[in-house]
Amino acid sequence: MKSNLTIPYSSQTGSMEIASRADCPKRQFSPLGLLSLFGVELLKIRRSKIFWILLIPAVMMWLPSALNADVNFVIDAYDISPDYNFFIQGYMGMAWFMLPATLVICNVLLHQTESAHRGLLKCLSLPVSTAKMCLAKFLVTVLLTAVQLFFSIASYYGAAALASRLYKYDFLLPPAYVCRSAALIYLAALPMAAVFWMVSVLIRTPVFSVGLGLASIVPSVLMLNTKFWCWYPMDYPFYMLMTEYGRIAPEVYDANVQLFPLLPVSIGVTLLCLAIACLRYSHEEKL
Amino acid sequence: MMTTANTLTLSTLETRKLKRTGYVPAFLGGGLLAAMVPVLNMAVRREIYVSQSGSPFHILMDANWQLMAQLNIFLLVCGACILYHTEYADNGIQRAETLPMKASGLFLGKLCILFCSCLLPLCLETFSLLACCTRYFPKTPGLGAVMLKGMAFELALLLPTAAAMLFLSSLCRNMWMCLGTGVILVFLTSMLRSGNLVLAAVPFAAPYRMLHQFTAGQAGRLLLLSMGEVALFCIIEWIYTKLRRCFQ
Repeated sequence: MKSNLTIPYSSQTGSMEIASRADCPKRQFSPLGLLSLFGVELLKIRRSKIFWILLIPAVMMWLPSALNADVNFVIDAYDISPDYNFFIQGYMGMAWFMLPATLVICNVLLHQTESAHRGLLKCLSLPVSTAKMCLAKFLVTVLLTAVQLFFSIASYYGAAALASRLYKYDFLLPPAYVCRSAALIYLAALPMAAVFWMVSVLIRTPVFSVGLGLASIVPSVLMLNTKFWCWYPMDYPFYMLMTEYGRIAPEVYDANVQLFPLLPVSIGVTLLCLAIACLRYSHEEKL
Repeated sequence: MMTTANTLTLSTLETRKLKRTGYVPAFLGGGLLAAMVPVLNMAVRREIYVSQSGSPFHILMDANWQLMAQLNIFLLVCGACILYHTEYADNGIQRAETLPMKASGLFLGKLCILFCSCLLPLCLETFSLLACCTRYFPKTPGLGAVMLKGMAFELALLLPTAAAMLFLSSLCRNMWMCLGTGVILVFLTSMLRSGNLVLAAVPFAAPYRMLHQFTAGQAGRLLLLSMGEVALFCIIEWIYTKLRRCFQ
C-alpha cells in the first residue's frame, strides 16, 4: 500500500525521490500503526462515561464489606487471619461477576460507537487495516480492564483503611501482595476477554452477544468444580483467586496453579479467538 | 374512545419493531438454558435430593432456583435494553413521538411485551421442574397446585424488576449505559438474597425469593408491594416523559 501511495517517482533515481519528498511532505502517506489506531479508539470513547461504570462497582462493592468488616473476626474452621479474609471475600464478587460483566459491557460500548451512524462503513473507506483496527479495539478492552484493576486496588485500600479505623484492627495488607494477587486475577481474565470479543464480532445482534456473555458467567463457579474447568475461560479469574485462598488456608483449595493444562489452553484459546475475530471483523460491511 | 383505540393499535406496533432483533429467540434460548439447570443437576447429583423429605417441588426449587432466577434477571436486563435500543439506535424515538399517541403509551406497550415475555422462560422452567418431579420423585398428591402457585408467585416477583429495568433503559440513549447500570444493580442486589420482607421487595433482589420461604400473610404483602412498585415505575416514567418534553 505504501508503494502505491507515497511517491509517484519511485522508479526514478534515489536523489530525485529524496528531493520530491522534501518538496511535498504532505503527499507522504504511512499506514496507521497499531499504537496510533489504539489512540484513535481511545479518542472515540472519550466522552462515553465508561469510567463511571468501572469506578462505581469497585467502590460500591468495597463499601459494605468495610462497614461489615467485623464478620471477618469470627474464627472459622480454616483459621484465616481477618485481614486476608477481608481481601479474599471482597475480591470474590469481582472475580466471579463484575469482571466478566465489565468485559461484556465494554464490548457493547465499542460496537455501539462504531455502529451508530454507520461509523464502521466510513472507517472502511479509509486506508486502515481492519485486522489492526480489531486488535486495537481489543487492546482498549484490555486497557479498560486494567483501569478497573487499578480502581479495585485503590478502593480496597480505601475500604481497608476505613475498616481499620472502625474496628481498631489493621486490615491493610502489604501492597506487593495485593498488587500481585489482583494482577494475577486480571491477567487470567485475558482469555475470557478474547472469547467475549470474538463472540461480539461474530454475532452482530446485540441481544445475543450480550445474552451469551452474561449467561456464560452464571455457571462459572459450577464449572470450576468439574474436570473440564481449564476448557472454560470464564472461570480462570475465580480459579486464580481460589489458589490465593488455598495459599492461606490449604484445606480449602489446592494452592499450586496447575500450569500444565492451563497455560497452553489459555494461550491457544486467546490466540485462536483473536485470529477469528480479526479475520471476521467488519465482514458484513465488506459484502 | 378514539384515542384509546389509537393507542391500542399503535401499541401492537411494538411487537413488529422486534422482528429482526432476535428478541423472541433470546427469551426462548434463555428459558431453555434455565430449564436445563434442574435437569442437569438431577442427572448429576440425584442421590442428594431424592433422599430428602418434603415436597419435591420445594426440594428442587431450593436446589436450583438461585441459578434459574439469575438467568431470568439477566434475560430481563437484555430484553429491556433491546426494547428501547430499537427506538434510540437510529433516532426512531423522534418519529415515534410524531405519531398520534401519548409518549407514555410507548412505555406501557413495551412493558406489556416484557411482562408477556417473562411467561416464556417461566413456562419452560415449570415444564422442566415438573418433568424432574415426576421422573425422580414418588407421586405426591397436589403437586400441580403447589407448583402453579409457586411459579405464579415467581412471575409476580419478576414484574417489578422488569418495570425498573425498562424505566432505566428508557433513560439511557446508549445501550451500553443501561446495560452497565443494570448489571451493576444485579451485582449489588445479589447480596440481598436473604433478609426481611422489605429487602425481599427490592427490584432485582426479589426474584431470588421463593413462596415457601414466607407465610401466607407475608406473601400477600410481598405481592401487594410488587404491584405497587410496578405502578410506581409507570408513574415515574409518565412524569419523566412530561419533563423530557420541556428540556428537549
